[in-house]
Amino acid sequence: MESDNRGVAVGLTLVLAVVLSLMPLSGDWIVWKPNFLLLVVMAWVIHWPNDLGIFFAASVGLLSDILLRMTLGHSVMVFTLCTGAIALLSRWAKYLSMFQRALLVALIITVVAVLEASVFIFYGRPSAIEHLPMKILLSMLAWPFIDRLVARLQPKQG
Amino acid sequence: MRNVFSRSSSLLRKLLVVTLLAVMLMIVDSFTSWLKPAYSTVDNLARPLYWIANIPLRVQEWSANSVTPRSEIESDNLRLTKESLIYHGQLQRMSDLAAENLRLRRLLNATELLQDSVLVTEVIGVSANPLRHTLTIDRGTADGVFVGQPLLDAEGLMGQIIEVHKRHSTALLITDSSHALPVQVLRNGLRSIAEGNADYNRLNLKFVSPTADIREGDELVSSGLGGLYPAGYPVGTVLSIVNELGDSFLKIDIDPSAEIDRSRHLLLVYTSRDSAAGATQ
Repeated sequence: MESDNRGVAVGLTLVLAVVLSLMPLSGDWIVWKPNFLLLVVMAWVIHWPNDLGIFFAASVGLLSDILLRMTLGHSVMVFTLCTGAIALLSRWAKYLSMFQRALLVALIITVVAVLEASVFIFYGRPSAIEHLPMKILLSMLAWPFIDRLVARLQPKQG
Repeated sequence: MRNVFSRSSSLLRKLLVVTLLAVMLMIVDSFTSWLKPAYSTVDNLARPLYWIANIPLRVQEWSANSVTPRSEIESDNLRLTKESLIYHGQLQRMSDLAAENLRLRRLLNATELLQDSVLVTEVIGVSANPLRHTLTIDRGTADGVFVGQPLLDAEGLMGQIIEVHKRHSTALLITDSSHALPVQVLRNGLRSIAEGNADYNRLNLKFVSPTADIREGDELVSSGLGGLYPAGYPVGTVLSIVNELGDSFLKIDIDPSAEIDRSRHLLLVYTSRDSAAGATQ
């Protein structure tokens, strides 16, 4: 894919992630649904660390806040922290196997989710922390598809 | 090696700046309404995405309707005809009781009960945030929908409208953690407040004293206090009552009557007080 089309590739994956995020589900699936936007952002940052980083993650986080009706800034912070951790490790993450990358992503999402839930619990708000293990597991299962899709769409170097 | 460290420190600087900006944004959004117009604009722009996100569900509904065997449709038709007959019979009795109720209220010089009309609407979007329970429906200002309007499904109260656009609206569900609803026990009229706790299958009943007459299985209906929700609509059934030593109030779990996370066709309620009354459909 030509590098001119990089924006289109990123845009397409983001639209796909937004559609998956907005898809109505019922029962426990609502709380178990992975954060597709965050996974897509992390995949892009792993594969394209020199061009996409913190500001890209923060912008998508802002979009996520508005679409998902969170307090503005909430997803900005979550996306920034997750992507910051990935960006710091991106030099090595590229050489990890798919399973190892899925584990790394799961670990980062877990740490940030636990921090987020702690803040919610501190303020006496519901945190849905009991659903976290299932959400992490489903995120890990979704990761290989997202990672492979982004790897195919990323522009060739040089 | 030096390059790696300088890259890391620049990244950490950016991380710190963006995190601080995010915190400021959260403070501004929590304590002011300056950013609300942004929600409205993006909501309108994102409408096609909601439509696309609903395609799998529509395809599923369409395929379920298309591949239903004729025998099943016939048996459904027969069952619905019987149900319709039963409901018509009950409705005749209801109108008789309503007339009698009205006569008695007039005798007592009480105010007349308000007559509610409804407008059928369809869910076109569900909040993707599991901690924020909202729905998007396909009716807006063009249909006379207004902020605060109650929303029902076939089983009970679902929530209230919090945002209205021209062709769609957003409703806050009764299970949202920021929602509270005045209720009363159908058996004895005991009043309380049912609060959401971000669980689609549970509500909590607040401020019920340990000596109050309430039992598991008691049905709760809206009390009409506060003037937002009309009185008498089913809210839920008492599921469990826990009296913990030292607590001033009982811990009561309610199973909501409405199928909060499943219903697709809902009813918008207009009482005769509402100026913009919609047509009954």
